[in-house]
Amino acid sequence: MEGWLTRIATNTCLNLLRSAKRRPEILTSDLSNDETDWLENVSDLSGSESLNAEHKVIAVDLAERLLETLSPEDRLALTMMDGEGASVNEVAEVTGWSESKVKVRAFRARKKAREALEKLLG
Amino acid sequence: MNDNHITDILDNAPVANLSESELQTIRAHVSTCAECERAFAAAQLSALLMKERTSEAAQSAFDANPFFQTRVLAAWREQQTSAGAWSLRRLWNATGALVASMAATTAVLAVLAFAAPSADSTTQVQAAVLPYSAESVVLDQDQDNKQLTNDQVINAIYADDDEGK
Repeated sequence: MEGWLTRIATNTCLNLLRSAKRRPEILTSDLSNDETDWLENVSDLSGSESLNAEHKVIAVDLAERLLETLSPEDRLALTMMDGEGASVNEVAEVTGWSESKVKVRAFRARKKAREALEKLLG
Repeated sequence: MNDNHITDILDNAPVANLSESELQTIRAHVSTCAECERAFAAAQLSALLMKERTSEAAQSAFDANPFFQTRVLAAWREQQTSAGAWSLRRLWNATGALVASMAATTAVLAVLAFAAPSADSTTQVQAAVLPYSAESVVLDQDQDNKQLTNDQVINAIYADDDEGK
């Protein structure tokens, strides 16, 4: 019952995301001054250090914009695996995809996200 | 080719899940390759953004219902106060069947230990008191004849004859 409801919720969300307009890419010109400054200094922040409130807002906004450039399936895979820390098996169970498909989706999503951020970092 | 290898490692798993050997390989390569250095920085940034977005989403869900924290804390305190009785009940639920079966087994063993020997001793007393008859000695095949001495057999036979006279 729980798995069935989870699957329905997942598919409904995916359909909503598919119907939403997808942005092709993030352009440097779209960034605000604060975001540009943050990106320039982000390499100084270590991974374990927590961000202050202002930097958190910028990071979340950038993450949302980054995810908008991805397809719904890639977005779901990246959010679940890299954000929530879900395993391949758990994503496969929730989405009904095969484990191979989950791995491929996550690989492509990471690659697209990384390449988009590389452009922003210059 | 070497560059592709590094990016394959970066794209194959979340940066946080990379093993120490993979990280060493990446760091060794990044020190000599500017492109891969930027790719590694972008991968780390991507992981950071995803982590921040998830923690923000969790915080938003937590803040969405202002009474959620109050209810959780109240339930937790209630559970703490009733922890003693609750744990005893849980212990009984887990071991009740075992304890009941052990008690039943003990009762059966007690009955067998006290009731069965007394019935056996009654039979022995009756056997000692009752005189042997000739018929019982000769015809009762179930009895163990080795337990009777010859004198007992002869006495039993002639006692019947004496009564007949």
